[in-house]
Amino acid sequence: MGPRLTRSTCTFWPIRALLIAVLVATPLAALADETCNSPYMANLIKNQEDYVYVWTLGVKGVGDGWDKLVTIDANPTSPRYGKVIHKVSVGGRGEAHHMGFTDDRRFLWAGGLDDSRIFVFDVGTDPAKPKLVKRITDMPKKTGYVGPHTFYALPGRMLVQGLSNTKDKGGTTGIALYSNKGDLITTYAMPTTDGGDGYGYDIAINPQKNVMLTSSFTGWNNYMTDLGKVVQNPEAMKRFGNTMVVWDLKAMKPQKVLAVPGAPLEIRWSLKEGDNWAITAAALTSKLWLVRADASGQWQAKEVGTIGDPSKIPLPVDISIRNDGTGLWVNTFMDGKTRYFDLTNPEQPRQTYEKATGKQVNMISQSWDGTRVYISSSLLANWDKSGADNEQFVRAFKWDGKELTPTFEVDFIKEHLGRAHHMKFGTKAMKSAYRGALASAR
Amino acid sequence: MLRPLLASAVLVAAVTTLPGPGWGHGDELRDQPPPAKADFTPPTPGSYALLPIMRAPSGPVVDLEGRSRRLVEFTTGKITLLSFVYTRCSDAWGCPLAYRVFDAVGAAVERAPGLRSHVRLVTLSFDPRHDTPAVMRQYAGDQASRGIDWQFLTTRSERVLVPLLDGFGQDVRVVPGDRPGESIRLTHVLKVFLIDPRGVVREIYSTAYLYPEVVLADIETLRLEATSGEKATAVRTGDRVGR
Repeated sequence: MGPRLTRSTCTFWPIRALLIAVLVATPLAALADETCNSPYMANLIKNQEDYVYVWTLGVKGVGDGWDKLVTIDANPTSPRYGKVIHKVSVGGRGEAHHMGFTDDRRFLWAGGLDDSRIFVFDVGTDPAKPKLVKRITDMPKKTGYVGPHTFYALPGRMLVQGLSNTKDKGGTTGIALYSNKGDLITTYAMPTTDGGDGYGYDIAINPQKNVMLTSSFTGWNNYMTDLGKVVQNPEAMKRFGNTMVVWDLKAMKPQKVLAVPGAPLEIRWSLKEGDNWAITAAALTSKLWLVRADASGQWQAKEVGTIGDPSKIPLPVDISIRNDGTGLWVNTFMDGKTRYFDLTNPEQPRQTYEKATGKQVNMISQSWDGTRVYISSSLLANWDKSGADNEQFVRAFKWDGKELTPTFEVDFIKEHLGRAHHMKFGTKAMKSAYRGALASAR
Repeated sequence: MLRPLLASAVLVAAVTTLPGPGWGHGDELRDQPPPAKADFTPPTPGSYALLPIMRAPSGPVVDLEGRSRRLVEFTTGKITLLSFVYTRCSDAWGCPLAYRVFDAVGAAVERAPGLRSHVRLVTLSFDPRHDTPAVMRQYAGDQASRGIDWQFLTTRSERVLVPLLDGFGQDVRVVPGDRPGESIRLTHVLKVFLIDPRGVVREIYSTAYLYPEVVLADIETLRLEATSGEKATAVRTGDRVGR
C-alpha cells in the first residue's frame, strides 16, 4: 500500500478572468525532443538527425485536407536539406496531435485527439519513407477513454494517455496499455479520490526510482471547443487539471497526488546521473514546477519559477530539457517566444535568453547535443490564431549557447500540408534491419 | 537517470570474420561484478498484477547437443526467464548484463527449494552462424550442470530465427563495422522476457529495469498466482542477488 493521497485545492477563476481579458487561445503542447523520450527507448540519435517527422493536422482546402505524417530532410549534407521528402496521409481529419516511438524505435505511434484513432507507422524499414502499417480505431469502445495524447514506450508495450472519456467527454480519463503489436492489455484510471482530479496529459518515468509521473490538462469538451467559448463559460474553466500524480511504476498504482495548479503539461526528468528530479510548466499560470523527493523520501512539487509575465498569459506550451539537465527551452504560444532557462540550480531557474520565433509557436525539439532546435506552430485546429497570425511552419535553428540562428523553414501552407504539430527525429541508421541484411552482408 | 539512456541506446558487439573480443565464456562472465541493485524496494510479491502481454512464439531451435527442438518445449510448463544474446557481445550493459542477472536469479532460485522445480532460464542466441552448439557450450560454462534449469539454445539459420525475433518483438540491426577487420556489427535492445507456465509473456525487462530482486519478485508473483493461497516461498532479499 502506498501512502495516502494528498488533496489538491486549486481552482481556475483568476485564470479565467485573465483569459477572458485577452480572448486568446490556450495551450496544448507536446513531447517532442530527443531528450524527452522514454528511458526504455533505444537507438537515441546522438549525432546528426537525418529526418524530422511532423504529425500534421489536415486543413480543409489545403492539399488533400487530411492528417498526415510529413518527413523533412534535416541533414545539412543532403541535397534535399530542409525539404519535404515524404508524406503519408491517413485518410481523415481527426485532430492529429502527438506521437511516440516504440521502445526499439522501429515504429512511431500517432494519435488523433478528436477521432481517437491511433496510427502506427513503420519508420524502421525505410526511415525516409514511413509507412502506415496499422490503425487502432476502437480505443474509445474498448477503454472508455477518448483523445490518445501521450505515447510512452515500455519494453514491448506502449502507454497511451487519454485526455477524455466516452461518457461525458470531460477530463476524467485514464491510461491504456497496448502491446507493441497493438493489442490492448489493460487500462489504468487516473485517480479521482484523495485529491485526484482524474485528468491526464503527459507521462514521464524514472525507472531507478520506480516512479511514473503524470500531469493533467482538460477534456474533449474543452479542447475541441473554440477557446473564446471556453473562457467565457465559468463551468468550462473549472474543468482544467490542477494535479500531478506519483505512481508506483511496477504496481501501476497511484501513490500520491501533487497539487500543481494551472494545467501542468510536459514533464521532463533530468537525465544527469544522480539527478532524480523532474520539471514541468503549468500552462495557465505560466509557472515552472519542480518535482523531487524530500529528505524523508516523499515526492513533493514546488513552484520554482515564472515564465514571462503571467498577467499577459504567455501560455507556455512546450518545454525541452538539455541532456545534462542544465537548461530548459520553453515555448510560449501567445507571444510566439522561445525562452531559455538556466537550470544549473533547478530550485531557481533563471531565464537567460528569449527570441520571437513566430507569430504562434508550440512545440520545441532539440537535438541530443543541444546545437539544433526545431520549432513548430500549431496547437489545435480550433485554437490556432487566425488571419496573418496563423503561420504554419517548422523552423530550424542553430544554437551556439548565445543565439538561435535560423537554418531552414518549411511553410506548411505553401507546401499544401496543414498545421505543423508534433515533431520526432529519424535516422538512416534505423534502416539496417536484421532480416536479410545479415545474410547478405556475409 | 543517465545509465538507462546510455545503456539502452545501442548495445553493440563485434561480428567479424576475425576472432571477436566479446566475453564468449560463461565462467568469465560469472567473475564480473554482480548487477546493480534497484534503488527502490520492489512491491511485495502478489500485491500487484503481471498482465498477459502476448503468447511466446515457438519455432525450431537447437540445444547444446545439437539436437533439433521446439522453443515451446522451453517456454511452457515452468516460469521461464528468456533472453536473446550473442556470445561475442562486448557491451557490459548488453548480453553480459543479461548473463549476470540470470546468474544471480539462478543462484537465488537454487537456494529456494520451493522454486527450483518451477523456474527455468533460457539463453537463446541470435547469431546462429557463429553461435553453434559448441560455442554455446563454452558460453554456458558449468551453468547447465548447476542445480537449476538453465537452457542454452541457438538456431540453425537466420531464416528460422527471424520469426522468433519478430514474435518476441526483439529488434536486431546490422550496421557497418567500425573497427579494423570488422565487416558488420549487430546492435539490439537488451530484453528479458518473463513467461508463465502457459507460455504467455507476463513481463519484459530492458536494461533500464533489469534488477534481480525485481525479477525474483515477479517470479514469486507468478508462483503465487499458480498456487493461490500458498505462502510466498522464502526467497529473502538477501538471497536475491549475488552468487
